[in-house]
Amino acid sequence: MFDIEKFISGLSVDKALDRLGEKFLKSLEDETAETFLEALLAFMRIKFMLDPAYRKNIEGFRGRYQFRSRDGGVAVLVKFEDGDMKIREKASDDVNVIVSFKDGRALMNFLLSANRDILKGLLNNEVVVTGNLNYMYKFGFMANHLQLELTGNLP
Amino acid sequence: MGTIDDLSLKDVTLDRLPRLKRLRELHFATRPEICVELPRNITRYMRHPDNPADSPELRAGRLYKYVMENKRPVIADENLLAGTTTARTIGVVLYPDFMALSIWPELETVSRRKKNPFGITRAEIDELNFDIFPYWPDRTIQEVARKDNGNPLCQRIMERIVFYIATKVYCISHTVPNYAMVVERGLLDIIREARERGLSLGGSKEDRAKKDFYQAVQLSLSGVISYAANLSREAERLAAKEVDTKRRQGLLEMAEVCKRVPAERPRTFREALNAIWICKIALHQENANVALSLGRLDQVLYPFYAEDIKRGMTPAEAVELVGCFWLKIADHVPLSPETGEELFGGSGSNQAVTLGGVDMKGEDAVNDLTYVMLKATELLRLRDPNVNARYYPEVNKKEYLDRLCAVNINTGATPCFHNDVSAVETLIGQGVSLEHARDYSSVGCVEPSSSGRAYGHTGCILMNLTSALEMALWGGKHRLTEDEEVGPKTKPAVDMTSFAEFKKAMETQLGWLINQVVTLNNNLGRAHQEIHPTPMLSALMEGCIEKGKDVIYGGATYNSSGAAMIGLADVVDSVTAIQEFVFDKKKFTMAEMISAINADWSGPYKRLQVMVKASQEKFGTDSRMARANADWLIGFLHDTFQSKENYRGGRYTVGYWTMTNHAGFGALTGALPNGRMKSEPFASGITPVSGSAPVLTSCLNFVARMDHTKIADGHALNLKYTPSTTTLPGFANTIEAFFKMGGLQVQFNIIDRKTLEDARKYPEKYPDLFVRVSGYTAYFRDLNPHMQQEIITRAEYDLATGTEI
Repeated sequence: MFDIEKFISGLSVDKALDRLGEKFLKSLEDETAETFLEALLAFMRIKFMLDPAYRKNIEGFRGRYQFRSRDGGVAVLVKFEDGDMKIREKASDDVNVIVSFKDGRALMNFLLSANRDILKGLLNNEVVVTGNLNYMYKFGFMANHLQLELTGNLP
Repeated sequence: MGTIDDLSLKDVTLDRLPRLKRLRELHFATRPEICVELPRNITRYMRHPDNPADSPELRAGRLYKYVMENKRPVIADENLLAGTTTARTIGVVLYPDFMALSIWPELETVSRRKKNPFGITRAEIDELNFDIFPYWPDRTIQEVARKDNGNPLCQRIMERIVFYIATKVYCISHTVPNYAMVVERGLLDIIREARERGLSLGGSKEDRAKKDFYQAVQLSLSGVISYAANLSREAERLAAKEVDTKRRQGLLEMAEVCKRVPAERPRTFREALNAIWICKIALHQENANVALSLGRLDQVLYPFYAEDIKRGMTPAEAVELVGCFWLKIADHVPLSPETGEELFGGSGSNQAVTLGGVDMKGEDAVNDLTYVMLKATELLRLRDPNVNARYYPEVNKKEYLDRLCAVNINTGATPCFHNDVSAVETLIGQGVSLEHARDYSSVGCVEPSSSGRAYGHTGCILMNLTSALEMALWGGKHRLTEDEEVGPKTKPAVDMTSFAEFKKAMETQLGWLINQVVTLNNNLGRAHQEIHPTPMLSALMEGCIEKGKDVIYGGATYNSSGAAMIGLADVVDSVTAIQEFVFDKKKFTMAEMISAINADWSGPYKRLQVMVKASQEKFGTDSRMARANADWLIGFLHDTFQSKENYRGGRYTVGYWTMTNHAGFGALTGALPNGRMKSEPFASGITPVSGSAPVLTSCLNFVARMDHTKIADGHALNLKYTPSTTTLPGFANTIEAFFKMGGLQVQFNIIDRKTLEDARKYPEKYPDLFVRVSGYTAYFRDLNPHMQQEIITRAEYDLATGTEI
């Protein structure tokens, strides 16, 4: 994963969010969407730290997510606890839900409403979710919200 | 019995029933909105007044008392019946312990999606996201079943979607409550009986469980009565403010009705309809309405209708009341996330009403109310209720069949037709007594079920038969899941030397799939027992009060579980193609067949596809080979499912109706040996593959001659007739002939391809165009593109020539 602190060091709160938001949006336009997951998680984490309204999503919430690429190249553990989000490059089965994905594009299509093409994802066996789907639904809301906010499409 | 001279009631029109006309226009002009009332009330109760130390039944009884007492009494329009399923005019109900959380990712986009958008406010999004949904992730039926059973294989397989769906994750509907009990006794009498039975019990563990059940019944029904009282007060409040004298009088009458029913036995037709409607609202708070069906309303309500006719009610006034009820039935719509819409969308709630047929003595049961209900159906042309007509050749009059056909021609899609002779025989084969079998209703789509005394969850399993075919071809693997060994390891088809070997592999894979899906349904059933008993449904089901047991524990007089099979004709045609071309005629090898389907019949395999498609050995023709394969498959499925016991001690039954799943599962499935290409919809229900059964008579013969006693969960034979060639005598004669040969059920779209194509192109021109899908009706514009295409390309027969156009 890339170094968030380095990426935003020396920036004001608003500027840091802007830069991470830009990086996240850019990842969505990327043909291969290789950096999608790390851009999403980085932006999400900083958003939780800096935006009290968004942080409300994880107040009192405990959840552990494992994201894995099919080729084993990516294994990211995401933990929500004590109103905080922690990201570790680690494989773990002690989680609420495991998301195995073929590539960044497939994961992006699975998670984001604007690019939602789950049928294709299923047809091509691109994303497989194991465990408590309800945790994915919550994560999906938080990811979608970021995209909608950045693109000015929040209702 | 009959006082109506003109069975078509041709003088009763919407123009002469302006109330119905306005309500119908309002219905089609109203966008459904998500309603947070129910999840809000359930979550509040569970967070605070709930006591986990109580038994599941007692907790459920207290919960539904709270829910009904706190339900907003809504009198939204000039409908003659009071109350609404949600707090909206047309609402989407969210059930937080079932599948409501699946809409969580889409809360901020659901109002703007292209297909079936639902209204929702920012405040409601925030309430669901921050307050309601966070309570539930570990408390849904699906999660309780997963946790209790250690994330079992059967559940993980379901989550790959292509193999099967088990509907207990979102309901235990698919049954017919005993509404006769409501109108013959009233809820206070049921409460009295429950109290007396409870008081007579001792202190044993078994007696204590029964006491809790009786207590739950009393609590939940008293909640229903409180809701009716609130409706009465609301009607009085509105009347006090009303300046229009006629409207004020109407509201005061409504207040009087709700003061009486459903607590007391109704005295009039209007009161009886209101009593059933309020109970239906209550049942919807307890369970998602997936085919929670209405039963034989023309029988249940006839005494009230006849009395009111004697007192001066006209048939037109009765049509207006029934029409008001029909519109109420359509006051809520199911929730489907976007993926669900893409795969399986467009379905209503599939609330079946059953008309006609014979009574418990075997005598003609068609009455004037049957014709009144047909008239309301014809005038309103609504997706729900799903109208099912029973017909007993030579007992029911031909003029009744003619009227059914006329309504079908005039509406284009309803009612569907059930053969009483075959349906009664099939139910008797499942251990139902003759009298109870004769008193059957259709559930949801087409499933025959003894009215108000059978809990059959007739749609608890939807199984994709082609997934077993895939695993038989690839030795236990499936193309969608690639290298995973999903099913048991069998010899890969390329190494097989005989057709018998292939059939054996199919049986192995099918048997394994059935084991998985039955295990899952039983796990989910036990999760319902643990966290979601249903005292309101149980109070209105024969057997439960007598046994002191909730339906989910097996309280109903008859218990079974219904499994619907998807892709029958495609699998039979595929198996037959393998038999004919690989093993009998040796036109090509199994390896070539597999290469052809892997290549989606493209390139060099196009020639083979033409050969396979041109074969005469097809489901729905005179082919002996296809018939033998169909009989083998249906027999194997029936025998295997029947050998399994459900968690309530009942047996599993098999049916062939597909709702929209033949399009959804089809979209996920690769090319098949019958020449079908990747992602194309499968044939619906028990219907032949489009284009493969060109002669109507052969098609009807093929289906009619199947052993319907092995199709106890019903079937949907979907036929499309060209309007210009569909004459009433020809139409009626075809149905009569099909039934005399033993056919179980048949249904028709009477619409031409050109109209459907125009409706696909310009949906705004056809807001109320409805079609038969596979067992139920849907608005064409709401169907997903796969399903629209399937309806358009579905075989269309010229009734004059009996051939496919």
